[in-house]
Formats: sequence, structure tokens, C-alpha cells
Amino acid sequence: MPERVETDGETRYRFLGVEATRREAVALALGVVALFAIPDVTRLSDSLQLSVIHQGLLFGFAAVGLNLLLRHTKLTSFGHAAFFGTGAYATAVLAKYAGLQSVGLLLLGAIAAATVMAALVGALSLRHTGLYFALLTLAFGQLLYAIALGQSALGGSDGMPIRPGPANQPLLLGTTFEPAVYQILTYYLTVVVILVGLFVMYRITQSPFRNALDAIGQERTRARFIGLPVRRYVWAAFVISGVYGGVAGGLYAVVRQYVRPEGTLFFLRSGDILFMAILGGFRTLVGPLIGGVVLIFLQDVGQDVTQYYEFLTGVVLLVLVYGFPRGIVGSLRSGGVVSTRLRQLRREPSAVADWARSAGRTAERKAVESLSSLRIILFGVD
Amino acid sequence: MLEARNLHKSFGELVATDDVSLEFGQEDGELVFIVGPNGAGKTTFINLLTGFLSPDEGSIVLDGDDITAMSADERVDAGIARSFQVVKVFEEMTVRENLRTVVLTERGKTWSLFSMADGHADVERTVDDLLSKFRLDDAANTVAEELPHGDRKLLDVAMSFGLDPDYLLLDEPTSGVSTREKEYVIETVVEVGREAGVTTVTIEHDMDIVTEYADRVVALHQGAVHGVGPPTMLETDDELRRLLLGVGE
Repeated sequence: MPERVETDGETRYRFLGVEATRREAVALALGVVALFAIPDVTRLSDSLQLSVIHQGLLFGFAAVGLNLLLRHTKLTSFGHAAFFGTGAYATAVLAKYAGLQSVGLLLLGAIAAATVMAALVGALSLRHTGLYFALLTLAFGQLLYAIALGQSALGGSDGMPIRPGPANQPLLLGTTFEPAVYQILTYYLTVVVILVGLFVMYRITQSPFRNALDAIGQERTRARFIGLPVRRYVWAAFVISGVYGGVAGGLYAVVRQYVRPEGTLFFLRSGDILFMAILGGFRTLVGPLIGGVVLIFLQDVGQDVTQYYEFLTGVVLLVLVYGFPRGIVGSLRSGGVVSTRLRQLRREPSAVADWARSAGRTAERKAVESLSSLRIILFGVD
Repeated sequence: MLEARNLHKSFGELVATDDVSLEFGQEDGELVFIVGPNGAGKTTFINLLTGFLSPDEGSIVLDGDDITAMSADERVDAGIARSFQVVKVFEEMTVRENLRTVVLTERGKTWSLFSMADGHADVERTVDDLLSKFRLDDAANTVAEELPHGDRKLLDVAMSFGLDPDYLLLDEPTSGVSTREKEYVIETVVEVGREAGVTTVTIEHDMDIVTEYADRVVALHQGAVHGVGPPTMLETDDELRRLLLGVGE
């Protein structure tokens, strides 16, 4: 049962090593309830689709993994779709060529494949940091994309179905289900996996291992000189983050029952995963997950509204970087920009005018800057 | 004993370390100061000893074992710690977290993925001890980047001490510190070093400090050893005085 602890005059609750204030505990409980309630909620409205939210959660889960690198070691990977894709393709290959039907075994296969792939890519790209690391991860991701695209055994650009056995469907608890029921059950499976994954990640971010990663991210040279074999730690973090991607990819394959190179391995997917982490708030644990749902939802809605939906996500990214650099969760948290502004507004409603003015000034400045950049690009002079 | 044997290091045309052979720690808790004009190769020498650079020729020997090929982190495990001229601490962590990270690393606990970072009682005791020894208790919960410069220097040195080294190499622990704080920093270093029996090798430009605290002085000039001796050497060696202070000509 939860145990009460008093720290700095604040009542906190501790359960299985997870410590939270009352407010956080309530938010957590509501979040879990909301996750389980989504299949019922989506039945109420046509604009909300279970498959969209489900997909958002899966990519968001990959972003949670990526965030271990981003937040603590401060390394930016542009190739995380590689592990998502490896998990997805491993599932497809095992279903097609090994005839594996059990969802559990398929997922274990996805985890194993993603672990090996992350260990390999990590070992080869972590010799470098910064831009070169980012480019190497991008290169390895594109390499895998090219392989999936080129190999007829992997279905080429058509991709591969995941329809093993006589039922043409992976088995949950050894049983087949109606497609609609299968969708809902796999969704609940995803929720359980996500909760376990978040719990594990939370514990990792409270552990001494996290201190080592933070040290490396904040002052790499000093980290070496307190005795940390830096590359080994970063490699371990890279593998863990890859495994999260692999689990997500495996679930994606099981849920969609189809994988294509574009949807899983293309480099824009890696960009999406990175964007999700930043959108949701990469300084938070659940931010990337929420970023995943929001981004996939935006892309889906955007596609209905306009063929230039990528413009829409571009605008969201700009607003975010200039207005809410801490992301959705980071801004909503107490002490975040949203609660600060709300308090300000309650005290002084005319503050809105000031914000508008300062936003206008920022927009004007940025416009001038981009015009001058454009001039330099076009004419080569300032 | 930590020995440098015939170390050479060049950067292109520039010879930064020229056949340097020195020994440290014949006695535990020895306080050695390295002096010399700018460009004498003082920092390069420390970089070679700690594995930040590898020598072109020569070897580094620790208690009879050749450690020249050891990586920086392995040398820390072997008991050689250092600080940097420009403070290198973990800027986003509090003072306490900085020290906790160091002590967790020293105790080999950083591979633990599921214990609580602040839940190791022995580590917390050591951290508290370091905080009080280096008079950083009041700043324990301050984020490193917000500390005043003197405290940052102290934290840097405290972190090196947290590694429980046998040899501590300090690259100008008082640089950029106000005159008033200088004494405070160096006194704390000397006091804690003596108590723990750590052999300390310090690069220092302030000759008053060297004269007051040194057991032994090593003077470097143009990459080579100019002389080794007691602090009185600073008074008696006219050429050294000329090199260091530009006097006597």
C-alpha cells in the first residue's frame, strides 16, 4: 500500500518507489483511467478514432525511449525509427517465415531484434557526439530503410502482412478474436505495456545510472575524470532507448497486421519521434507519450482538412519552440509557463495586451530575420 | 608513488613537455606545487599524468605498474583524481547531487538501474561529510551554475576528493578567485588533503601561497624541469625568480 512521507513540509505518497504529491497522484490515476477508457470514448464520436490514438501511443512510447538519450545524455538521435522498424519487421518476419502466432512470442522476437540492432548501431555511432552522432544515426536508419525497400523477402515497398496461422491473425492467449475485438484487446495490451514501460523508465530516472547519464550529458570531460567509462554508459542508454522503440514497433505490427517501409523506417518517422518528445516536453517522463498522441492526431486531422498538413505540423513546431519550449506537459506543470500566465491573468487582466504586443514584436523580429536569411540564400549577400 | 619517466609531448613544432622525470608521494600527504611561467607546460604535464593526453615518449608509473596505456577513467579507479583550471562541474545538478554522483561512481554503484540514487545511506554519509569539510553545507541545494565562483572552485575540488584518491592533481584551484577567497580555498584544500593523507600536486601562480604551504616545489620552464626543491628555492634561485617574476635582471 502507498506509504506517506513528509519532505520539506509537503505530503508525498510513495508506492513501489514512485513518489508523488497528492496532485500528481490524482493526475496519474486519472491518466490511467483515461487510457483504459479510450476505446469507449472513441465510440461516442466519429472524429476520434481508436486506431489513431493507439498509433500515437505507440510512437509516443518509442519517444519515451528516445527521451532517455535526449534528456539525460543530451544526444539527439535522428534515427530512432530504425528500432521501431526493426521491431515491426522482426515481428513480420517471425510471423511469415517462422510461423509464430503468439503475440507474446512475436513481441519477444521484436525486443530481441531491436536490442541487437541498437547494440550494433550504438557501438558504431557513439564514437561521435553532436552533429556527427545525429548524422550517423540518420545514416543507419536510412540504410535499414533501403534494405527493407530493396529486399523482396521483406516485401519491398509493398511491405509485409502479419497474418500467421490458419486464422490469419496473431493469437492473444492462444485465441482468435473478431477484428473489432482484436483491436480493442491489443489496445489494452498496449496500455499495459506502456504503464510497465513508464514505471521502468521512472525507476531508471531515479537511479544512480541516471546520475551517470546526467553527468555525461552535462560535462562529458568531467564525467570521464570522475571515473565513468563514458561510451559504455551512453551505449547502455542507447540500447535501452532502442528497446522501447522495438517494443513499440512490435506492437504496431501486431495491431496493424501490416508493416511498410514508409510507415516504420523512413527517416521522417525518426523526425516525428524526436518531435513528439519535444512537443510533449522532453524534460518530463510522460511528455513524449502525450506528444505522440497529439502529433499523430494532428497529422490525421490535418490530412482531412488540407493536403498541406505538414505545413500545419510545421506551424505547431514553431509556436512550440518560440512560445512553449518546455512542451505540453512541461508548460502545464505547476510553475510552468501556463500556470504562471494564468495566475498573472487573474491578477491583471490587461496583461493580455502586453503579451500580444511582445508576441507581435517577436513575430516582427523573426520576420525581418527570415527575410534577411532569404536574401542571403537567394542573392548571397546581406 | 606516482612517477613520470622521461615524458615527451609536442604539439607540432611546440615542445610542451621535454624529458620530464618526476616522483610524487614518497610520503603520504605530500603537498607539491608546480610553478613556472605561462607556457612552461604545467597543464600539459598534469594532462599527461591523468590520461587527458598521451605522451609521445616516456611512461607513467603508479606504485611500480606502468599505467601509460590506461584510459582516464581507469586512472581514476587506480587513485588519480584531478580538477580543471576552468571549473568543470555538472552545472544543472545541485551541489549535493554533484557530490552524490561522484561518490556513487567511486563506489561503483552507477550501474544500478533500479535502486534510488539518494537511497544509499553510506553514500549520503560521505556526501554530508564532504559538504561540511568543504564548508558547502549552506549551498548544498543550490544548482551548480548559480554558485559564486569561490564555491564553484571548492565544489570542483570537493568532487575530486569525493573520489577518495591517493593522488590529487589540481590545476590552479585559486585562479579567478578573489584574494580574500583564495586563502579560504587553498586552506580548505590543504587541511582536507593532509587529513586524508592525499598526495596533492597543485599548479599555482601565487608565490605567497606556494611559499606558505608547499612541502616541495617543482619549477617547469619551456617544457623541462628547471628545478625541484623546498619552497625556499623561490627566494634563493635567482634565475627562477627572473623566470617567474621578471625580476633580478
